[in-house]
Amino acid sequence: MKTYELTEDERDVLQELMNVAYGSASAVVADMLEAFASLSIPKINVMEVSKLLETFAELKGSSYFFSTQVFSGEFNGESAFFINEESAKNLAKHLELENDEDLDDAILELTNVLTSTLTTKLAGEMETAVSFSLPSISKVALDEIGDVETFKQYSQVIVINTELNFKDQQINGKIFILTKDESIQWLKTKLNTILEQLI
Amino acid sequence: MAQNETKHNPRTIDIDKNIVSNIDNGIVVLDTSLSIYHYNRWLELHTNLKEENLLNKKIYDVFPDIKIKTLERKIKTALRMQTPTFYTASTSNYLIPIKINQLTSSRFEYMQQDISIIPFDQEKDLVALILTDQTNMANTHALLKANILKIKELNSALLKERDTIDKRVLLIKISPHGMIKEVSQALLNLLKYDKEELYTVNFFAFERVHIDETLKKNILKAMNNLESYSFEQKTLTKCGKELWLKNRLVPEYDTKNEHIGFIFFRENITDTKIAAMHNDKLLSNSRSAAMGEMISMIAHQWRQPLSLINTIIATMKVKKELDLLSDETMTTSFGKIESTVKFLSETIDDFRDYFKPNKVITNVNLYKLFTKSISFLQEEMTQMDIEYSLEIDSDANIQTYKNELLQTIINVLKNSIDAFNENAIDNQLIQISFKKYDTHISLTIKDNAGGIDSDILKRVFEPYFSTKSKNGTGLGLYMCKTIINEHLNGKITITSLNSETTTLIELPYSIKKRN
Repeated sequence: MKTYELTEDERDVLQELMNVAYGSASAVVADMLEAFASLSIPKINVMEVSKLLETFAELKGSSYFFSTQVFSGEFNGESAFFINEESAKNLAKHLELENDEDLDDAILELTNVLTSTLTTKLAGEMETAVSFSLPSISKVALDEIGDVETFKQYSQVIVINTELNFKDQQINGKIFILTKDESIQWLKTKLNTILEQLI
Repeated sequence: MAQNETKHNPRTIDIDKNIVSNIDNGIVVLDTSLSIYHYNRWLELHTNLKEENLLNKKIYDVFPDIKIKTLERKIKTALRMQTPTFYTASTSNYLIPIKINQLTSSRFEYMQQDISIIPFDQEKDLVALILTDQTNMANTHALLKANILKIKELNSALLKERDTIDKRVLLIKISPHGMIKEVSQALLNLLKYDKEELYTVNFFAFERVHIDETLKKNILKAMNNLESYSFEQKTLTKCGKELWLKNRLVPEYDTKNEHIGFIFFRENITDTKIAAMHNDKLLSNSRSAAMGEMISMIAHQWRQPLSLINTIIATMKVKKELDLLSDETMTTSFGKIESTVKFLSETIDDFRDYFKPNKVITNVNLYKLFTKSISFLQEEMTQMDIEYSLEIDSDANIQTYKNELLQTIINVLKNSIDAFNENAIDNQLIQISFKKYDTHISLTIKDNAGGIDSDILKRVFEPYFSTKSKNGTGLGLYMCKTIINEHLNGKITITSLNSETTTLIELPYSIKKRN
């Protein structure tokens, strides 16, 4: 599996691209939420899925909303968004939502906005296009996350830790962009092309 | 040819328009103010509305249930991001209400819809809403969810049950070859062993001291035939405490009905065993005590006739020495001695007959029974000047074990006599009376021998409890209670009031033969 690992240089370039993409995404998110919201500077990591599952164990909190969205194209995979219950409630308060179904819908919307903007921008930076399918949501207990079968099909994962800051409340979320081996192969080629252009 | 070529040139076919009107999806085009720009055929058919009547109308005027704020937000976001936004059936159910025609097995009244909002024309700020029917999927999903919930409930019930069994039921599971593969926590606690000490140990090796060869052979035979088998055994805990276990061996099968071993269901019968052994001992002690009583009663009965014989012999001796012993006197004296010896012999026969436990239920005349019991004690009562009254109908009969009832009555009368012996009382009297009821009869034996203190009264039926100054075994009344309660299906109670003691015996008219 060594061929699918990212080198340090590749990792740096990807991180840089993610930062750019995230910058453009944040404006859209603020627009959607019609708020004086700002997105914190993200912490971006690239890791193996097995390591990711380990970090889940460290996450504290009663329960998390977990939504995923598949993206297709030359660069393909699945993006996942975690938001804890407290943050989700804050989001509901902010959007003046009436019931749980509306909250689920709002989380899906946030997932869609965050992940599709990010992925689109990232794809744009790499001169390719992506298309999205419907996101889905489930509320999972943390100790069951290890059993989420689909996760195990992915090798590398890009983890983006983000924070939405409102005037009086905070919303914390984590975005994961999961990619399969073939996609990593494509990503490596792309990243190396960009690297060469930089030099 | 040229015409044909034109006909087949893809560019001349209006693909977009054709697909939009024939596709199996609903398509509606809206602007940011939610005005309708297009309403495709699929939607016309499903909602029974014509596009021509809807154009330029606001979608929320046509479908008043639509949440304007949410839809506006999604459209705005789609246009802003230039990527689709979505409604999903799992959270929003539907946007445009479409009644479902299908009646069978649907949980929903309205079509469940996934909707993608696609940026359509950036300049005119138009979006296309594409509706996909997800009712079947939603039905399957709901069914699955309900089933998962059910399975979870069943599973937790099962786990709870399993836990209860583990904590409460004494059981050992062994493989078909006799290796211990599971021991319930309850049994481990009882035997004071750890799991690890018993697992993968051979059952017969573990129990070798407590299961002898014959028993082992029987167990193995049952195991070979896949039959169940019950047996009792002694065993030792790890600390060496002796236990009695009742085992029930049953073959174990898995869900596919394959034989996977055997289960020993065990029951701790140590307490019952000890009680039974204790009872046996008590019973044999009671028998010896009853025998002692009998001998003492015989002695009382014999005293007077023996002294009579003694007197006759002494008289004969004196007469012989004085040469006054005539043949006539000798014949008379021998006749007297003979009849007295016969009486002595009869007394023994009487006692022996009456103190043998009966095997058969007979018709018992209660008047005769009391007369008999008093005759056994007559000598003693006369000596002590004890009077008695007997108020029993001469035709009072019940079906019961005669000798056992007689023993009980003698025992009660003897207690009264002993009480008179200890307390000096004037006008010593034992009153015996009888009453008939619908279902039973009652016998009352009342004496005025001073009564019993309430503290003592509570304990009179306990084994080995006695207040008698000498020769009291403490088993008399215990035996009476055992006989009346367990053998004669009756009840015995003792009360005491104003220096009088009353024993009440209630008996059914007839009883069934005991095993």
